[in-house]
Amino acid sequence: MIPRPDSRPIATRLSLITSACSLALPLLLAGCGGGESLPPIASGGAPGASAPAPANISRDALVGRWGVASFHTEKDRKRTEAEARSQCKQPYVIAKGSGDGVMMHVADDPKLYELRLKAGPGGKTYLGFEAPAGDPQDRELLSVKPKEFVARFVDPDANARYGTFIYSRCG
Amino acid sequence: MNHAIRTGLLVCGLGLASLLALAGFASAQPRPPAAMQETMDIGDEPGRVSSEEATITDGPYARQMVLFRSNEAPGTVVIHSAERFLYVVQGNGRALRYGIGVGREGFTWSGQVQVSRKAEWPDWRPPPEMLQRQPYLPRFMAGGPGNPMGARALYLGSTVFRIHGTNQPETIGQAISSGCFRLANGDIADLYDRVPIGTKVIIRHKTTL
Repeated sequence: MIPRPDSRPIATRLSLITSACSLALPLLLAGCGGGESLPPIASGGAPGASAPAPANISRDALVGRWGVASFHTEKDRKRTEAEARSQCKQPYVIAKGSGDGVMMHVADDPKLYELRLKAGPGGKTYLGFEAPAGDPQDRELLSVKPKEFVARFVDPDANARYGTFIYSRCG
Repeated sequence: MNHAIRTGLLVCGLGLASLLALAGFASAQPRPPAAMQETMDIGDEPGRVSSEEATITDGPYARQMVLFRSNEAPGTVVIHSAERFLYVVQGNGRALRYGIGVGREGFTWSGQVQVSRKAEWPDWRPPPEMLQRQPYLPRFMAGGPGNPMGARALYLGSTVFRIHGTNQPETIGQAISSGCFRLANGDIADLYDRVPIGTKVIIRHKTTL
């Protein structure tokens, strides 16, 4: 059966398209922008973010070439810091992502992803996927200084296996 | 379709696409399903956890006293790679036997060396080829339960090879290492206490009668 051609005037059809478009756009924005129940986004935060960006750390603090070493017990921290400083011959490179994040790996996955900084409860800072701060696949940034940052995986299993990471800036 | 309608749809579509692109541009990636499911290959030995007490308790790879004909002095360590066994000669035709994991094809070797150094919970530096496969690994991991070197290490002469523990006791009996010999953590701790520095270690790839 041949469908009946739309006999409505062009102006009406254009109006319908415009209406559909005007309905779809806010829905789309709501879908990736969250609703009123989401926490407010700090300046520079993404409209689609599910957690606010931290106010005191920018992604530029993470971008660069880093020597990386890890430890499990506090007694090994000092020598692990020294090891991290000596690992610049095989640095871990953190680049800017195309969005507001940085390109890094998550635990047990050789692919690079764009991860973003997220402010969490209690003044904690996390780095991870577009998910609430403190998600199991996040890293918690324990400290960020110009020449060194310290991080650990939130997931207790990954943290137990890999320990606390020290990133020492190269160059 | 009328040109005006096509133009309207195009404008709407472009608007949606632009917003989608903008949303993608301005935010981090959503979590990919693969990142949630992916696990490590058993042969890649990054930081799994094995307790210090883990031993092989059943089967041929369990630590046990066996008959062993040898002219070597008591205390000598003899490794039979093909059999996946390490023997500590006891004398009187007996030896204490441990199940081991050995080098995969192309990574086996033989020779005679001495234990040059011993370490508890040794540090670990993933080799470059492992870092290529698993770029998320630290370049140095201080000794600990997640360290693939395990609870103890016996360094073999001036070689890069060691007899060490493992965070993957399920690999005992397999040929997957890069030339080192691995024991379950409880077994390497037992061996560590029996073997002093200077101990003669004989590595045989094929069994000799």
